[in-house]
Amino acid sequence: MGDMLRIPGSTFLQGSPPWLLDWLEEQDQPLPRRWFADETPQLPRTLPEFRLDRYPVTVAEFTEFAQATGYRSDAEEIGFGMVYAEASWEERAGACWHSPGGPGTTTAGYDDHPVVHMSWNDATAYAQWAGKRLPTEAEWEFAAHGPDFRIWPWGDTWKSDCAATAEFYAGALNSLGAWREWWRTMHARYGAMPRTTPVGSFSDLGDSVFGCGDMAGNVYEWTSTLTRLYDEATECDPSVKMAVGRYRVMRGGSWMNFRYQVRCTERIHGDPTGWSSFAVGFRCAKDA
Amino acid sequence: MVKIILPAGWTMGRTEFEGSEGLLPDVIRRFAADNPSYGPRLLGPDDQLLTYINLSIDDDLILRAERAGTEVPAGSTVVVTAPMAGG
Repeated sequence: MGDMLRIPGSTFLQGSPPWLLDWLEEQDQPLPRRWFADETPQLPRTLPEFRLDRYPVTVAEFTEFAQATGYRSDAEEIGFGMVYAEASWEERAGACWHSPGGPGTTTAGYDDHPVVHMSWNDATAYAQWAGKRLPTEAEWEFAAHGPDFRIWPWGDTWKSDCAATAEFYAGALNSLGAWREWWRTMHARYGAMPRTTPVGSFSDLGDSVFGCGDMAGNVYEWTSTLTRLYDEATECDPSVKMAVGRYRVMRGGSWMNFRYQVRCTERIHGDPTGWSSFAVGFRCAKDA
Repeated sequence: MVKIILPAGWTMGRTEFEGSEGLLPDVIRRFAADNPSYGPRLLGPDDQLLTYINLSIDDDLILRAERAGTEVPAGSTVVVTAPMAGG
């Protein structure tokens, strides 16, 4: 199993400061301010010391688990996983962690990449087998930005060569149309295979202050935290309100995203009832 | 009429749309026909509701097994939530 890093106990502010939403609104990105409102207001959190995997769980590590236990993932049980086909999301029969693009695809050459097609149940089952647990949302965020706020794990200046995102491959992207054009090229060349990178590919430049790698991009990472708004009065996207009390928080964004979706305080909410996609993985935590 | 709400991440802005009352799958099919750019996010190639989207009517989540027989009354609000919300 991969290295775990010791993260010191601390009190910190979780969430985005008001100026960050102003900044997002000024950027060349298409999403409205309300889309990001679930990151606000900042709240003080106190965490005891804990340990966190330096990198997301890899294909090789999940293979060891599956071989040792006979575990079948939710995607294997349900019979399909979500992939982005040429132009839209698709429930692809046979897509799962060992066949990430569906039948005929394998993980050959992907041993050191993050495992994908992980549902919340799959991530929780692996963590229990490994004697670990999923991190809470607060633990994840603190490990990503440290005691002081920063936009990305390495600082406040975007660097496309510090994280596995769509912008690492395509250069600056500022619209869904530009993203779709990039993905069409990728899909034509590689099919619906995840464009993950080996874990640690961007260390040390892309690491957090504590040395955690791949906290921005590569795969969305499940946390144990049930979706709640930081303040119930926050006006946010209606679909996020629907997720409150039902979904679990995911963090870090993925190889599919723009720079704005891989920020340390970005929140994404995932259906924990068995859903997974070829961009979703996890890392584990442990009490100190 | 009914109100249909999509995630802003799908629309890049506007989230509220109008639809017509009826059985939930029919409400969504008619909406997709009127707004074809959102069709692939709601319906599979067989014109059935995608398994992984979640649908609520007036804040009540409709279980997948109950979608086919659920009536959407006039004046209600249908919220479509992707398996990943926000982001």
